[in-house]
Amino acid sequence: MKRHFEEQLDRLRVKIIKMCSLVDEQLEVAIKALLENNQELAQTVIERDKQVDKYDLKIDKICQKLFALNQPVAADLRLIMSSLNINTNLERIGDLAVNLCENFLHIKEKPAFIDDTRIPEMILLSKDMVKKSFDAFINGDAKTAEDVIKSDDLLDNMNRENHAILIDIMKQSPDNIEHAVGLLVISRLLERAGDHATNIAEDVYFIYQASNIRHRYEKLIMGENGDTHDENSDVSEDTEE
Amino acid sequence: MIRETVIKVENLNLYYGKKQALNNISIEMYKHNVTAFIGPSGCGKSTFLRVLNRMNDLIDGVKVDGKVIIENNDIYSPDIDVVELRKKVGMIFQKSNPFPKSIYENVAYGPRIMGIKDKNKLDEIVESKLKQAAIWDEVKDDLQKSGLSLSGGQQQRLCIARTLATEPEVILMDEPASALDPISTAKIEELIHELKREYSIIIVTHNMQQAARVSDFTAFFYLGTLIEYDKTKKIFTNPTVKQTEDYVTGRFG
Repeated sequence: MKRHFEEQLDRLRVKIIKMCSLVDEQLEVAIKALLENNQELAQTVIERDKQVDKYDLKIDKICQKLFALNQPVAADLRLIMSSLNINTNLERIGDLAVNLCENFLHIKEKPAFIDDTRIPEMILLSKDMVKKSFDAFINGDAKTAEDVIKSDDLLDNMNRENHAILIDIMKQSPDNIEHAVGLLVISRLLERAGDHATNIAEDVYFIYQASNIRHRYEKLIMGENGDTHDENSDVSEDTEE
Repeated sequence: MIRETVIKVENLNLYYGKKQALNNISIEMYKHNVTAFIGPSGCGKSTFLRVLNRMNDLIDGVKVDGKVIIENNDIYSPDIDVVELRKKVGMIFQKSNPFPKSIYENVAYGPRIMGIKDKNKLDEIVESKLKQAAIWDEVKDDLQKSGLSLSGGQQQRLCIARTLATEPEVILMDEPASALDPISTAKIEELIHELKREYSIIIVTHNMQQAARVSDFTAFFYLGTLIEYDKTKKIFTNPTVKQTEDYVTGRFG
């Protein structure tokens, strides 16, 4: 027989998975609206954000209750702690989808010079990172989480390149300025989506590997010093307490 | 941080008649730390606690092999004075057991047996130990009152004061708060935090949250075997052994 507590943990997992699916769809539709110049579609994303917010509140409430009533430890503690973070990041990705749509509605149409930027690639990569971070959570897969984290630098570089490209485009003609600024914002939003996917991946890694790799991923995983685990930093953490 | 070992156990086995109750336990416990023993009923944690001041000697048919080293002496070697040992390694039980005497006499009992007769000296010890056990303010107005007239939580703290009066190195606590209400339990836990500055404490508890709250190190026992021993933080956040994880998260069995 499953214990009540485990049923509550399952309930939490299911809520997060449903929220993942909703947020994934929001981002997908927002990008589709931009690429297809479809303003109606953009409007639906904005309207549906209320549902994302509802999940955010619900998941917060479930976590609060689980903490207060069960004093979770070990893997359970990591799951609930990380669920709170993942929830926040999901909600932000939902907001980014809305921002994408609002920005698109502001510039009214997709400019033709979008194809001269790295935005089409960023769309593919950021969507892929977001999807993979969700898959990593759903399947309890730390390896996929690592893949997401590794992709983040690539996305950041593309965003930086866009700045140079779009400034050039603006210099060519003042008529381009409004659209180019719009694309700068879109580039930044896609880069942010990648950041949130990375945060989720780091939390998934924490749940399943019990190691906190936030802010020190390169050192711990990519072996900047040839170490997979930085024992010294663990020790300094202990002495600080 | 360099830790000083207070008790070192090597390859300890314990048998009740033919039945082996503890299997090859080796562990080092540290000075000025609180070590908690956790595990399901019958796992051997209380038996092991009693090994540390030879309380099992009182049970017929118990056989112990292996070493328990305290201050460079194996406490199971034949020349050990068990009374001296129990002075050095005091014990607090689940059920408080004050002597049917006054509060004053409960605390003065040990020092008297040790030969202290000077009234002023005894007064001093009684006051300081009752203060250390965080019960002085509640009893100072009538030290001649019977120890048995106190509440359960107060009796338990009186027993702690009585143990402290013999100046132990180590205090063993066997479920010291399991019969107490939450407020009295909190007082005992707070006291444990205070006492570890001067003593080393080893506590058996069924209450895992209590182990997590009060201890620096936690040992998990199962079926007479020490399954995992590590910093409490590690045991309750990321235990190494699956059985430990299953136990602390309540998924055992």
